[in-house]
Amino acid sequence: MAPVEIRDLSKHFGAVAAVNHLSFDIEPGRVTGFLGPNGAGKSRTLRALLGLVQPSSGAATFGGLRYDELDEPSARVGAVLEDASFHPGRSARNHLRVLAITGNHPPHRVEEVLSAVGLSDAADRRVKGYSMGMRQRLAIAAALLGDPQVLILDEPNNGLDPPGIIWLRGLMRQQAADGRTVLISSHVLAEVAQSVDDVVVIADGELRAHGPLEQVLGGDDGPATTVRAQDPVRLTRALERRGHHVDRDGDVLNVLGATPEEVGKIAGDEQLSVLGLAPRTRSLEEAFIALTGVQS
Amino acid sequence: MTALLRAELLKLRTTRTFAAVVASAAALSLTLVVLGAALGKETKAHALFTNSAITYIIVILGAIAMTGEWRHRTITGSVLAAPNRARLLAAKAISYSLAGIALAIIVTVPTIIVGELVLSGRGLATLGAGGIADVLWRNLAVAALLGPLGVCVGALVRNQIVTVVGLVIIAAAIEPAVFQAVPEVGRLLPLAGAPGGVLGGTHGDLSPAPALAVMVAWTLTIFAAAAWRLRSRDLV
Repeated sequence: MAPVEIRDLSKHFGAVAAVNHLSFDIEPGRVTGFLGPNGAGKSRTLRALLGLVQPSSGAATFGGLRYDELDEPSARVGAVLEDASFHPGRSARNHLRVLAITGNHPPHRVEEVLSAVGLSDAADRRVKGYSMGMRQRLAIAAALLGDPQVLILDEPNNGLDPPGIIWLRGLMRQQAADGRTVLISSHVLAEVAQSVDDVVVIADGELRAHGPLEQVLGGDDGPATTVRAQDPVRLTRALERRGHHVDRDGDVLNVLGATPEEVGKIAGDEQLSVLGLAPRTRSLEEAFIALTGVQS
Repeated sequence: MTALLRAELLKLRTTRTFAAVVASAAALSLTLVVLGAALGKETKAHALFTNSAITYIIVILGAIAMTGEWRHRTITGSVLAAPNRARLLAAKAISYSLAGIALAIIVTVPTIIVGELVLSGRGLATLGAGGIADVLWRNLAVAALLGPLGVCVGALVRNQIVTVVGLVIIAAAIEPAVFQAVPEVGRLLPLAGAPGGVLGGTHGDLSPAPALAVMVAWTLTIFAAAAWRLRSRDLV
């Protein structure tokens, strides 16, 4: 049973289907990116998973149990939501102490997570004086308080400065390396591409792609290879004779339907010099646009 | 439930609003009682010390606490920490019941001590031990029930300004007007009618025991409605 299971989940608001028969699993020990354009249904899905909205049908569970069925949920699941907010008149330490008491976590965890997110020195200041990045760090500290097996992060990079983003990336990788499950929703695709092992792409509330990042980037067009040739005209003819589609840009050829090994063998058979040879993958942005139909 | 209650009490203790309101209420109440005891021509000690206006502050505090969860958008975090929403509401309601008792003690005890000294100095009748105990239980009972009532009304309405202004208008204008027009109905109402009966108010009020039962019924009914609404509400 997967740590996170979405089964035929739908959420309707009147006639509008925010989430429409969505199904996927999230595996442990991996960081999974949850991607989709604005209004795709990402936040609704995460909120259904966390018991904050009632699904119209289907289920979103942690190993088969709804969030509100978990014993000590904050020890199983840590969540950072996009609009994480705190009472402005209370300090970070006070907020975490309240959460520690509620979740039956030992008091020393408060100091540990404050230190982990770099807020120890500001822990007794009232939150209303915090920057957005500091609030985000406090939200992450709250999520880590129960040392959970599953981390749900909805746009966690909001407000973080570059060192903070690098720190968060390291945290997610470490959590996954420890065998935990990390699900991150983000619109910063370049950042996601550097952080995740798997991706789930949704649009209009429906699943568009799910799998390892390399597989999703590869698309459904088969392998593709970028090759730089000393005689691009002759190599183009040779490749086309063997049924490959070639897009030529100067001395660089993009060959569809062929692996680098196949292109290299064809060049060798024709006794043509190859100056560079690499598999061609789509960027995450290209894959995202192709899968969701959304243009920038 | 114990952990939730401890967490709510910690929130309450460490939020400046509560401390500021308690201090202000105690100072205001002390001032009013001293003036009443020192200047009143036919001062009745019991009426002087059952100060319903001060006690009603707890209903506002309870409402501010609950609506603050939406105003500051902390309700999502609260529900994530305690996904059983009815228990979350119960913990907050109980914490404001205890806060009401604390507020009533902090406000009532100093005013009784000072007021009794002033009345005694003027040679007027004082309460005595039995009278003091009677005043105390009435004030404490009303505050213990009005705190949760404010929390539950806040959970139903959610908008802080609408809730606070609405409670003040109902307590200060609507319920007294209903009481004037139809006393049999007015004395059963939750914010002024039934509490007035518990505190020992005017002619026409319920006697304390039935009035207390009416207050309990109101609090439980509004809690049930608020818990049902909170459980079925999407937190988007």
